[in-house]
Amino acid sequence: MIEARDLRKEYGGFPAVEGSTFSVESGEVFGIIGPNGAGKTTTLKMLAGLIEPTSGSVSVAGYDAGETEMRRRLGFLPEESPLYEEMTADTYLRFFADLYDVPEDVAARRIEETLSELDLQHRDRQIGDMSKGMKRKVAIARSLINDPDVLIYDEPASGLDPLTTNYIIEFTSQLAAEGKTIVFSAHNLFHVESICDRVAIMNGGEIVARGDLDQLQAEHGETVYHVHATVEVPDSVARNGQYVRTVESMDEVEATREAASEAGGEIVDIRTEESSLEEVFLNVADGHDSRSRSDRGADAESGSEA
Amino acid sequence: MRPRKILRIGRWEVTKNAGGIDRKTAAVVGATLLVLGAAVPLVLAQGGVTLDEGFYRVGVAEESPLYPVVEDDPTFAVRDSDAELGSAIDLQIDGTQVVASDTQKGQAALAELRGSVDSYNDRVMAGESNQSAAFPVTVTLEYAERNRTIAPADGGDGTTGDGATGGGAGDQGGSDDGGGDGTTGDGGDGSDGGTTGGTTDGGAGGDGATGGGSSGDIGSIARGLTGSDAMTGTPSDISPPFPFQSLILAFLFVIPLNFVIQAYGSTMLSERLNRRGELMLVAPVSRWDIIAGKTLPYFLGAMVFEGAIAGAIIALEPGSGSGAYALLAVVPLVLLFLAATFLGAMFARSFKELTFVTVSITVGLTTYAFVPAIFTDVTPIALVSPLTIVVRDIQGVAIEPLEMAISTVPPLFTATLFFVLGAGLYREEDMFTQRSIPLKVLDSLAGRIRRRRSVALVVVLLMPLVILAELVAVAAVYPISMALPRELWLGLILLAIVVIEEVAKSLPAYAGFVHNRYDRTVRSALTVGALAGLGFFVAEKGLLIVQLLGGLPEVQQAAVVSAGPTAGISPMVALVLLLAPLALHVVTAATSAVGMRSGRQGYAVGLTAAIAIHFVYNFAVVMLVV
Repeated sequence: MIEARDLRKEYGGFPAVEGSTFSVESGEVFGIIGPNGAGKTTTLKMLAGLIEPTSGSVSVAGYDAGETEMRRRLGFLPEESPLYEEMTADTYLRFFADLYDVPEDVAARRIEETLSELDLQHRDRQIGDMSKGMKRKVAIARSLINDPDVLIYDEPASGLDPLTTNYIIEFTSQLAAEGKTIVFSAHNLFHVESICDRVAIMNGGEIVARGDLDQLQAEHGETVYHVHATVEVPDSVARNGQYVRTVESMDEVEATREAASEAGGEIVDIRTEESSLEEVFLNVADGHDSRSRSDRGADAESGSEA
Repeated sequence: MRPRKILRIGRWEVTKNAGGIDRKTAAVVGATLLVLGAAVPLVLAQGGVTLDEGFYRVGVAEESPLYPVVEDDPTFAVRDSDAELGSAIDLQIDGTQVVASDTQKGQAALAELRGSVDSYNDRVMAGESNQSAAFPVTVTLEYAERNRTIAPADGGDGTTGDGATGGGAGDQGGSDDGGGDGTTGDGGDGSDGGTTGGTTDGGAGGDGATGGGSSGDIGSIARGLTGSDAMTGTPSDISPPFPFQSLILAFLFVIPLNFVIQAYGSTMLSERLNRRGELMLVAPVSRWDIIAGKTLPYFLGAMVFEGAIAGAIIALEPGSGSGAYALLAVVPLVLLFLAATFLGAMFARSFKELTFVTVSITVGLTTYAFVPAIFTDVTPIALVSPLTIVVRDIQGVAIEPLEMAISTVPPLFTATLFFVLGAGLYREEDMFTQRSIPLKVLDSLAGRIRRRRSVALVVVLLMPLVILAELVAVAAVYPISMALPRELWLGLILLAIVVIEEVAKSLPAYAGFVHNRYDRTVRSALTVGALAGLGFFVAEKGLLIVQLLGGLPEVQQAAVVSAGPTAGISPMVALVLLLAPLALHVVTAATSAVGMRSGRQGYAVGLTAAIAIHFVYNFAVVMLVV
C-alpha cells in the first residue's frame, strides 16, 4: 500500500531524513517511533505528499505522493490540530467533505456516524470554544471524512488527558480492525506496542531498527530469567522465603540449578522477562548515539527493506 | 485550476469568516454601511462636495453684467466693488473690466471666473426660445496631442487688460478675432487661448467690449476671460482651485480597497499561523485552487464596492460615461492590491508584521493609484494609474484603447507576478517557517529557480514590476525635475531607472546562490549573470517592439529610455544599437553575479559596480541622442 524508497530530505544542507526505505502492507498498522528531531514528522509529511523529498520516492496506493488521486485516498492527522476555529464542527467537516467531493448526503451521514463514535458533544459550538480533546476528535473526524484507505497519524494522542488518550487509541485500533492501513507515530511506546503490527525506530534522521515486536526484541532487546531456589545460591536475593537469582542466558540458569543442587536445594521456579518496546527503543537509541555519523551513513547506503 | 473547486473554496471562505463575526458586529457594520450609502447620494444630489464654496472674494456692483455670473457660482463670495483689491477681494469688476489681485489666488480666481462665464453663457443660451439663433453654428471639437506643454496662467500681470487676450489665439485658433474685450489682463499666453478662442461663439464677439449686458455681451466677455480653459502642464504648475472632482473620485475608488485588503491579508496570514492551512494542502486541490478560491470573495467584494460607487456617481451625475471603462480599469487595480497583500501575507511572520506590510501596501499603492489620478486633466503622466481611466470615464471623457492599455496592463502583469511569487511560497515548507521578510523574498524567487536557465525566465517575469517601478519613479521625479538643470534631472531619472533594472536583474541570481542552486565559481557566476542579462534584454526589447508598434506616448518612452533611437539610422548602426544593450545587460548582470558569489557584501559591491557601468552607458547614449 505504501512504498518509500531512499527517502531523503535536507533543510538548508542539513539532512532531516536520510535514505529511509520501507513498505507498509494493506491493512497493516505501521508505527514510527524515535526521539524528538529523529525525522518522524518529516517522514510522515513526505508520505502524505506535504513535503517534497530532496531525493527518493514515495507511492501510496499506487500513486506518487502528492498526486490528486493519492490525496483522495489519504487521511492525514498532523501532530497539532490546525482547525478553522470560527467554524462549528459540523460546518468544518462539511467543508472538507466538499473539498474531497463527498456527496452531501453521504457526508452528512458520515459526519453523524463518526462524531457519534467519537462521542463528540456540543457539535454546534464553534471549534475555538471546544476543549483540546474535543478539537482532536474533530481533527480525527476530518481525517476520516473521505473514508480513506490509508491513514497517517502523527502523535494522535499528543497532549491529551489519559481518558481521551485511551479513547483515541482504542478508536485507532478499531480503524485498524476495519482494514485501514495506518502509519502511526507516537512518543508513548505503550500505545505503539498495543496497536502496531510493525515498528520502525528512527534516530538522527534514519531508520535504525525495524520489524515486528518479536523481531525487534530478538535483535535489540534482552530476555532475563528470574531463577527461584530453595537455598541460597551466588548472586541471589532472599524474597518470600526463596532465593531469586536473575540471569541473562540458559547456561547461567543451568549453572544456578547445579549450584542449588550442590547446596542441597532445588530450583522451584524460573520466570522469563522480555524487554518492553521502550527498553528496545532505549537500547537502540543508546547504541545508535554511540556510533559515529560516518558509520550511520554507511548503514543507510546498505540499508535493507522493512 | 478547477473552477468548481475554486468556487467551493470561495464559498467556504465566506462561510468561515461569517462564522467569525457575531450578530451585533454584523448589525453595527451593516448600519454603518447603510448610513454611508444613504449619505453619498445625498451629498452628490446637493452638488457634491463643495469644499471651495465662497473661496474667492469678488468685488462687483449689481449693475455689472458679470454680477449674475458671480452670484450664481458658489465658489465666489460677492463683496463690495470698492473693497481693496488684494487684502479684501481677489477680483475687482468694474462694468466688464476685471482686475485680478497680483497673487496666485487672484489668478486662480480669474481662471475660475472664465469657467463660470462659460457655464453661465451656456445656461442663458439654453434658455432662449430660438435655439437656432442661440447656437447658430455646430462645432465639432477635435483635440490633438500637443508635442509640448505650456504652463497655464503664466502670462499677464494681473492688472488691466490689454484687449488682446483672446487675440493670442491667432497662432492656433484663428477664428477668434473678437476676443479683445479688454476685460482681463491675464488670459494666458495667447497660444493657449487660441485653442479655446477658436471654438467659442465668435459671432457674439465684439459687442462685449461695449458692455451692453446682453447675452452676447457675456459671450464676448467669456472669450476674453477664457483665453484658456484647457490646462496643461505639470502638477507643480497648477493654480487653485485644486482639481477637487478628480480628487474626490479617485479617493472614492481607492478607499474601499484599503479595507478589503485588511480582511484579505488577515485571512491569508491566518492560514499560516498555527499551521491552519496545512490540511488544505493535503486535500485533493492544488495550491492555485486554494489561492484563487480564497481570493475570489475579496475580489468580487471589492468589485461590488467599486461598481456601486461608479453606478451611484453615474446615476447622479448627468454627462458621465457608461462606467464600463471605469470598471474594467478597476479590475487590475483591485488585483494589484490583492496580489501585493497576498505576497505580503506570505512574507509576514505575525499579525504585527502583517500590519506593517499592509500599511506599506496601502501607502504605496494608494500613492501610485490616487496621486496621478488627481491630475487626470493636467498631465498625460496621470495615465500611469488605472484610476485616471476611472476618473476620465466618470467625467465622460473618451478613452482610447491605447490609453486603457497603458494604464491597466502594467498593474495587471504586476499583480500576476505577485501572485506567482506568493504561490511559490504557498507550500508546507515555506508557509509555516519563521524567516525574515528579505529571506522570504529570496525564497519566493528561488522557488522558481531549478537550474541556470531558470534565472533568465524569472528576470523576464519581473519585467512588469520593473516597468511599474520605473513609471512610478519617472512620475515621482518628473515634477521635481522641472526645477533642475536638464542634465541633472535627466541623470536623476536615469539613475532611478538603472537602479531598478540592476536590482531586478541580479536579485533572482542572488536568490539562486543563497539557496545553493549554483556553484560559487566564477564560471558559474558568469554563466548565470549572462543568462540574467539575456533574459532582461529579451524582455526589454519585447517591450520596445510593443512600444514601436503601439506608438506609446512619452511617458512610456521615458520608461524605456535606454532602448535608443529607432528611426533614421542605417541597418548597421541599428544592429549595433540593438546588440549594445545586450552586451550592457550581460556585462552588468555578470558583474553583480561575480560579486554575489562571496555573499551579501560581495553582492552589494558587484551591484554598485553594475549600476555605475549601466548609468554611464545610459547617460552617454541619451546625451548623444537627445
